Amino acid sequence: MSARGVRRFVADLLAGRRPRSFRADDTDVGPLRAAITLRAARPGSTAPGDEFVTDLHRRLAAAQTDQDVQPLPLPRPVVDGTRRRLVAATSIAAAAAAVGAVADHALTSRSPAPSRPGGQQTLLPNTGEWRTVSTSADLAEGGVRGFDLGTVVGFVARTGGALRAVSGVCTHLGCRLALNAPARRLDCPCHTTSFALNGELLRYQLAVPPPALPQLEVRETQGVVQVYAPPGPVV
Amino acid sequence: MEGGWVMGRTGRGRAAAARAGAGTGGGADVPAADAPQLRVVSGEFYPDWEAVYRDNVDRVYRLMFAKVGNRPDAEDLTAEVFLAALRPLRVSASAAEVRAYLFATARTVLAGHWRRTLGREITRLTDDDELELVPADDAVSSAAVGSSAAVGRAAAILAELPELYRRILELRFLDSCSVREAAAALGVSVAYAKVLQHRALRRAAQLLEVNR
Repeated sequence: MSARGVRRFVADLLAGRRPRSFRADDTDVGPLRAAITLRAARPGSTAPGDEFVTDLHRRLAAAQTDQDVQPLPLPRPVVDGTRRRLVAATSIAAAAAAVGAVADHALTSRSPAPSRPGGQQTLLPNTGEWRTVSTSADLAEGGVRGFDLGTVVGFVARTGGALRAVSGVCTHLGCRLALNAPARRLDCPCHTTSFALNGELLRYQLAVPPPALPQLEVRETQGVVQVYAPPGPVV
Repeated sequence: MEGGWVMGRTGRGRAAAARAGAGTGGGADVPAADAPQLRVVSGEFYPDWEAVYRDNVDRVYRLMFAKVGNRPDAEDLTAEVFLAALRPLRVSASAAEVRAYLFATARTVLAGHWRRTLGREITRLTDDDELELVPADDAVSSAAVGSSAAVGRAAAILAELPELYRRILELRFLDSCSVREAAAALGVSVAYAKVLQHRALRRAAQLLEVNR
């Protein structure tokens, strides 16, 4: 039993501090669980603080603004019916999403949104995890950072307070994009194709415009920026 | 957005939603036969994401607090739930479904927290917890979420402990006494109070295990 780890954890808990991490073993689980159960029963103080509620509201508002511009692709029916049919069907998709299918990142893999120029998909791997690509401090307002997670490469940018991550691979023939920092765009080294930091196609020399860059889900937590990507070696 | 399509309000639907969120990959392909029945009901809807937030932030926080026992972690995990859930969330689902989805997300977030910090799943959100967040009706007020169950569990354990064990835990955990104050109240040395606390926690853990 990691007596010291348990002792520190309990001491932190009793002091109202964030308990420190340690490698717990099986015999630690019971005492830790008992300590939490007892502490959580303390009268009063189980309600969230006003400051926290207000601050989280502000963070969510920033994230929602981002979403309004680039909604996540839910499976949508082909637009060939009456407006009423379309509304009913998209609502089914929305309800299905809300009851948890999206929590599992399953919907888009079953029914991928059509890939067409201008449309923008979100990469939702079947098996993914939140992987850190930058510290919050290293990604100030207006900042851009490239990342290579081994399984996925891309760029994450903070614009207008909102974070956005896009794939770093050209949607034409798969060349790796380079950040053109002064122009704030992503350039393909192969065929004079360029994308904006939000993934939109800016210019191309091809007969058919390549699709916009796929987005990745991105979040900020505990001072780091993370994207949802398949697990794999960090290169 | 009048009317709208929502899932039938069955217990099965809620449980399925919770399981979907709790999975770690796998189970991505839900067979069509298992898909929930969809029908039109005049359920209760949230007008926008802010309403979802206002109505649920207190519930989710209390749920998390009951499982981690400290404010900083409870705040971070609550934030993580909403930041993860509100992005893909469409508010055209009924309030009950939105809560089921928030619960599923919370379950995954809590599991991730323990994986990161201690490498062992110390506490988890159970189906009983879900009933508190997603009541069959709105009889359960948000103030009762998490805390009522936590108080009940703690009381049950304390009642079964030998007197000295019960007293030291009450003093330290519920009354927030320092170890010195607790020792004075019990008429024992500080060193012995520490030993008592340690032994009492281990005994409480055994009781908790039996009660599960």
